[in-house]
Amino acid sequence: MLKKDLILKSPIEKAIGSENITKGQFGAVLSRAGVGKTSFLVQIALTQLLADQKILHVSLDDPMDKINLRYDEAYTNLVDYIGYVDPQKAVRLWDDISPNKVGISYTESTFNTDKIRDYLKSFKKADLALPTIMVVDGLNFDEDLSSTLEDLKALNEEFSIFIWLSMKSHREEALSEEGFPVQLEAHKDQFEKAVFLQPVEDKIEAVILKDGDKIDQKYKLDPATMMLVE
Amino acid sequence: MIRDLKRVRNIGISAHIDSGKTTLTERILFYTDKIHQINEVRGKDGVGAVMDSMELERERGITIASAATHCEWNNHDVNIIDTPGHVDFTVEVERSLRVLDGVVLILCSVSGVQSQSITVDQQMKRYEVPCIAFVNKCDRSGANPVKVSIQLKEKLGHNSVMMQLPIGLEDKHEGIIDLVTMKAYYFEGDNGENMVEKEIPQDLLEDAENAREEMLDEASLFSEELTDALLEEGEITTEMIMAAVRTGTISRQMTPVFLGSAYKNKAVQPLLNAVLNYLPSPLDIENVAIDLDNSEETVALESVFDKPSVALAFKLEDGQYGQLTYIRVYQGCINKGDTLINSRDGRKLKAGRLIRMHSSQMEEVDAIPAGHIGAMFGVDCASGDTFVSPQINYSMIAMHIMEPVISLSIVPKDNKAQINMSKALNRFTKEDPTFKTYVDHETGDTIIQGMGELHLEVYVERMKREYGAEVETGKPRVAYRETITRKAPFSYTHKKQTGGSGQFGRVIGFIEPCEEEFEFVNKVTGGKIPTQFISSCEKGFLACMAKGPNLEFPVTGIKVTLEDGGYHAVDSSEMAFQAAARGGFLEGYAKAKPVIMEPIMKVVIETPNEFQGSCMGLINQRRGIIQGSQEEGVMSVVESQVPLSEMFGFSTVLRSGTQGKAQFTMEFSSYKQVPMSVAEEISKKKADEKAAKNK
Repeated sequence: MLKKDLILKSPIEKAIGSENITKGQFGAVLSRAGVGKTSFLVQIALTQLLADQKILHVSLDDPMDKINLRYDEAYTNLVDYIGYVDPQKAVRLWDDISPNKVGISYTESTFNTDKIRDYLKSFKKADLALPTIMVVDGLNFDEDLSSTLEDLKALNEEFSIFIWLSMKSHREEALSEEGFPVQLEAHKDQFEKAVFLQPVEDKIEAVILKDGDKIDQKYKLDPATMMLVE
Repeated sequence: MIRDLKRVRNIGISAHIDSGKTTLTERILFYTDKIHQINEVRGKDGVGAVMDSMELERERGITIASAATHCEWNNHDVNIIDTPGHVDFTVEVERSLRVLDGVVLILCSVSGVQSQSITVDQQMKRYEVPCIAFVNKCDRSGANPVKVSIQLKEKLGHNSVMMQLPIGLEDKHEGIIDLVTMKAYYFEGDNGENMVEKEIPQDLLEDAENAREEMLDEASLFSEELTDALLEEGEITTEMIMAAVRTGTISRQMTPVFLGSAYKNKAVQPLLNAVLNYLPSPLDIENVAIDLDNSEETVALESVFDKPSVALAFKLEDGQYGQLTYIRVYQGCINKGDTLINSRDGRKLKAGRLIRMHSSQMEEVDAIPAGHIGAMFGVDCASGDTFVSPQINYSMIAMHIMEPVISLSIVPKDNKAQINMSKALNRFTKEDPTFKTYVDHETGDTIIQGMGELHLEVYVERMKREYGAEVETGKPRVAYRETITRKAPFSYTHKKQTGGSGQFGRVIGFIEPCEEEFEFVNKVTGGKIPTQFISSCEKGFLACMAKGPNLEFPVTGIKVTLEDGGYHAVDSSEMAFQAAARGGFLEGYAKAKPVIMEPIMKVVIETPNEFQGSCMGLINQRRGIIQGSQEEGVMSVVESQVPLSEMFGFSTVLRSGTQGKAQFTMEFSSYKQVPMSVAEEISKKKADEKAAKNK
């Protein structure tokens, strides 16, 4: 039951819908540096963990320990947000589901989808359930990433794994007519989902840029915990 | 012994098998006047090199155990630990690396950085040991020291810097050019003992100048003085360069590369100079111990002589005069006749004869001061023990000793092997606290227990090699355990009437899971069970823990609470209550949802980046949980938790999956419940075994 409660309270359930997370191929979380792309991505992945799915978190910025720490923190934030959870129960649940996440840390030069493919293949070989989503955090979209996206697309098709990416935008760059940062504009047709995070006053506003008919819906988040502000 | 620690070096010589490590050590001993004749490793003279003290080592030309040897060079004391180069003996390498301050990494100029060099290098990184490299075998055809230096950079991630250039290679290898002094050195005499300094040959001068510039560039990063001199084109002194290179080396940010050919007696003396110039003295290295009297806080040890002594026993050797214990003293000074405490068990001992070893010969000394390596005679201890002065209670290693998780039955092949086997086992259990042995009373087999498959394999191999005890091994077994998952009540009456006085005992209470191995709580009031029988009840319960009712694995994590019971004035006895307790335990246990627990190992794989994905795959196929993966330079680290039962044969699988380039370490992490499907398999196997036994 705790799992369901946590999913229901997650900001992701409101903004995207936990069932909706894996529909399509690519999703993007955009913001300027330091606003909370990674935290948001971790929350997305967390809802999958709570739904007993496996996830793969690839980071080009954080070392392995930091990735794991981010998940611990995100989980604690979510539990605290509900406010009335038996702490032992919460710990047990985390012990249960946290092994389903795998964090891999690469550097920009060594990130390579072949290695991820080798890894994913082994799931099939061992007849295990594949991860449902892969988070790729830290790709530099100021450079031409068409070929990387092609590679990722191939992974998606081979293993039906939804890929959530982070995109760093810049303050000085103007938005496109649709309100897209330039980084997304270049690849906009490939992405089914996109969320733009912006600091507004002392809160963070999550704007849905792409996701069927949900476009332009806005949600307010607490910058410290990334939880919804009612 | 030299008391000025600036003039002491404790070094190891570490390398891939067959890159000439033992030959080099032999030459060093010759030039430092410790031996008077050079014997080749696989000598035609049948004598063999001095450092290989075990017979088999001489025969095969490999070095199994590390022997510590002392020599003197240019008024410096140099202690050399000859570390084994074979992959299976890495336990020994790791133990020696602890007591070293620096390492000479030998590489073969033809084959370059090989997979074993990678293993050794990773161990050096783990213990943060500074190193210098020596590219050996420059006389061989295909020799290319520059290539090896580049491989050091690319494959091992070292900041390698050439400090010398060769004068001629392969069969024309004559000597070396020192880029610091900008002189050429040739080695004359029968054994190359005369080092002759000459000007650099004209045709090599330009190369040498370029190489020197590169070297200075790197060195200048570690010295402002040198940087200034370079920028202002001032005078660059030898001392300046050496100081800079030394700083870089000790901080492990630079690996100076030297070259030569030990076999052809070329450039060993300059390497010795480099050891003095660039590798750290005991004063340059910080060593820490754990203060057992102060909640295991770490304390820094100081290499001073007037503080309480702290020494680590890092190697035991059975000699003709009894057990020889190699020690490294980290603080204070151990004098002949001193009283010391073994901090592992608190036993007092007296330092009797102290000696300094030169492989098989020994020299008696009066004291071993801090920073030095020596040996003690007649001390009963285990390897890894810490000796301290009575006023302190420090330990050099963590005190926590893990329970073995895997066992193997061994049967000696013949009578002679039987005797030798017990000798070997006696010695090994002393050397290694994680290695245990016992006799299974049911089968009469000798069982050895350890921390992993390889761990046991190494000992079986050593039994054969060192003690001539050939044994047949059974299949390795995982140490499963049983426990319960919920609270369950019991109420059992043991009643027997067979003429004469009968037996009567009644116990009522409950069992529940707990953190401790076993807990017994007595809540019986009103004398329902007389006090004298309570301990019998406890005994009875405890006896059940040794063998689980279901699968006969040891039971752990059970708390028994005795609440009520009954007795008979005549028929109750200790025996009767023990039996009643057994009955009560079985009754409660069956209702308490018993499960099987298996040891889960923390497995860390270090692999070249290109195999990261497949290594993670291998873990996946073994019921493993990957905790994460990270790249460190050219290598990737994959951390995971894997059930031990799935790890059998993993080293072979890993080797073949990664062209032998990956390696893994495995340590016990925790006991976890076995999944249902696997538990069924285990029960089935156990039942089959039982059936087979009863046949």
